[in-house]
Amino acid sequence: MASPCQVLSRADRSIAQKQLELAAAEAWRIEAKYSRYLRGNIVDRINSALGNAVSLDEETANLVDFTATLYELSAGRFDITSGVLREVWTFDGSDRIPAEKRVAAVLDRVGWHKALWQRPLLSLAPGMQVDFGGVGKEYAADRAAALAASQSDAPCLVNFGGDIVAAAATVDEASWRVGIESLSAGAGEACKRIDLQRGGLATSGDARRFLLRNGVRYGHLLNPLTGWPVVNAPRSVTVAADTCTQAGMLSTLAMLMGADAEKFLESQSVRNWCIR
Amino acid sequence: MAVTDGSPGRRAPANGASAQIASQLAVATCSLLGIAASSLVLAEEQPEWEFDTALLYYGEDGERVQDLSLNILARRLFADDRILSIGLAVDSLTGASPNGAVPQDEPQTFTRPSGDSVYAVAAGEFPLDDTFLDTRYALTASWQQPLGRDFAGTAGVSFSTEYDYTHAGANFALSRDFNKRNTTVSLGLAIARDELDTVGGAPVPLSPMAGVGDLSGRAGSESKDVLDVLLGVTQVISEKFVVQLNYSLSDSSGYLNDPYKILSVVDPLSGGPVDRLLLPGAEGPLHEYRFESRPDKRTKHSLFGQGKYFVEGKVLDVSYRYMTDDWGIDSHTLESKLNWPLSDSTFIEPHIRFYTQSEADFYRVSLLDGEPVPQFASADYRLGNFDSLTAGLKYGWRTGGGNDFAMRLEYYRQDGEVPEDQLIGNQDQSSLYPDLDAIIFNFSFGFDF
Repeated sequence: MASPCQVLSRADRSIAQKQLELAAAEAWRIEAKYSRYLRGNIVDRINSALGNAVSLDEETANLVDFTATLYELSAGRFDITSGVLREVWTFDGSDRIPAEKRVAAVLDRVGWHKALWQRPLLSLAPGMQVDFGGVGKEYAADRAAALAASQSDAPCLVNFGGDIVAAAATVDEASWRVGIESLSAGAGEACKRIDLQRGGLATSGDARRFLLRNGVRYGHLLNPLTGWPVVNAPRSVTVAADTCTQAGMLSTLAMLMGADAEKFLESQSVRNWCIR
Repeated sequence: MAVTDGSPGRRAPANGASAQIASQLAVATCSLLGIAASSLVLAEEQPEWEFDTALLYYGEDGERVQDLSLNILARRLFADDRILSIGLAVDSLTGASPNGAVPQDEPQTFTRPSGDSVYAVAAGEFPLDDTFLDTRYALTASWQQPLGRDFAGTAGVSFSTEYDYTHAGANFALSRDFNKRNTTVSLGLAIARDELDTVGGAPVPLSPMAGVGDLSGRAGSESKDVLDVLLGVTQVISEKFVVQLNYSLSDSSGYLNDPYKILSVVDPLSGGPVDRLLLPGAEGPLHEYRFESRPDKRTKHSLFGQGKYFVEGKVLDVSYRYMTDDWGIDSHTLESKLNWPLSDSTFIEPHIRFYTQSEADFYRVSLLDGEPVPQFASADYRLGNFDSLTAGLKYGWRTGGGNDFAMRLEYYRQDGEVPEDQLIGNQDQSSLYPDLDAIIFNFSFGFDF
């Protein structure tokens, strides 16, 4: 996950210990299964199939169905095949913007519509790669929270590097206090505090990964339709929704809308906080 | 950096297609996670500002004191539990208060504190001085923040002014949590300097009440210093029960008299008034009175215990306080309230308070003509032996927008008696003490944003 993960629980110590073990085990399982850095897992097999069809297990097929729906809902802005753009874009705070020709060349290998998905068989065109990074952490948070919540009625909260799920059996319980990191005051300083009792909370932002050239800031979120970073996106978008997966997808979709992020979120009637 | 807060209440005209996204996303997610849909999302931003306002009316029966006050408390919440509080209060006091003289079978006349004119009281009535038309303004400010992981500190100032009285003070408190925040120990300190700029000048203690225009028995302005120390422990006993125990010390020094209070000088056999020589054409008291005198130091010790018990959604609060001081006053207070929710947004809270106090060592219902004047003497009914009862009901409700309203109506009754050994002849213990009935009505409104 490459982020600090924590489980907060109001249950007794021994139950909390079990909740932590279940959540951690689930996080490691999902990471191992869907990491693009590990040889031999399902993602590696899909990406090295050289045009052949790969048969997916139940869980992976569900994830692919989900991301396919997202591709439709977002009119192509959310695309799990967009990861190859990483080859030309490195967001290290420098001013190295790739040449248009290079971006166009890589863009040829991007596009979910170029993949063939007929459950349970998935085949990619040569040169294409899939990456579940856009949905993996939030999905893991929801799964881990469900496992932890199955152990006790006492409220518990799962925080996987800012992707948060609060599970509460009843609404009488006190809330968890969550801080949205301030962009100007530096790491660890909260600029907004949210009392979260139940639901998922996810944030999309460009706080740490960006390029800066001629005074223009390029966030790390790439538009798969153009191959270029989304323009005029908010610096940070936080969304509260029923599950962390929904919250994460809505915050990502909002960022992908660029200047229209706030309008998009208002039209979806979700609790959100945007920082420009 | 601009932060916008999108809340469901503020909707832009929805694009028919895009409005579907969230609900279709919800369906897709439920499929993915294998769960049932729930739309219960409870995430609220902590408000930056909290306001509490209250309008209070206090009215004593008869022609006695009436007070109308407005209180506003504003709290600004910063990150990491740091809070700035600012309070403003305006009090308007009218009406009359017992001046310390005893009722007699003949009319009595008194010189006003200013020395400019007189006021008269009918036979058989408790002498009341109605000079007290006054407006008081008070300001408080304090800063509260955590100090490290276990400590929290508060520092504040207070200031108030009315036409003859000014108060300025500073306060500090330090608290520390133990046992996973189940125990909190706190130490508080407050210092204050009050200045009295009495109308006509502070009277020399035990000097006789003079006629109109005669300010020979008057001195200038006076001051007093107060030091308060408080040591407290709050302990969570169980999920439903919290207790608190406090010890406090209050030390006052300086001018502690009430410059407007007097004592009657009476005949030791009949209890009747002693005539005063009044020259023709002069205005002034018809009888002898003397201004009161209290010691210039007072030390009070208090012990306070409180328990709050949560049972079936209701909160029962019971507290007891014992106070004793070096003026000879001992008091006991027993108080209880029950917060009873009627629904998710409304509650009632009945309240009852019993109070009993023994008189100060130097409390005198009157001075005896011919006897040496004692060093200290006061007939102020607030230093006497009395019991009081307060009973009331509060009703509160929270609106859909999250604002809090409450109304409270209380009845206060105070009954006292003078010490038996101070009675003369057929005098009755209770009839020499000015009992009190009062109504209190409070309306409060709280909101945040």
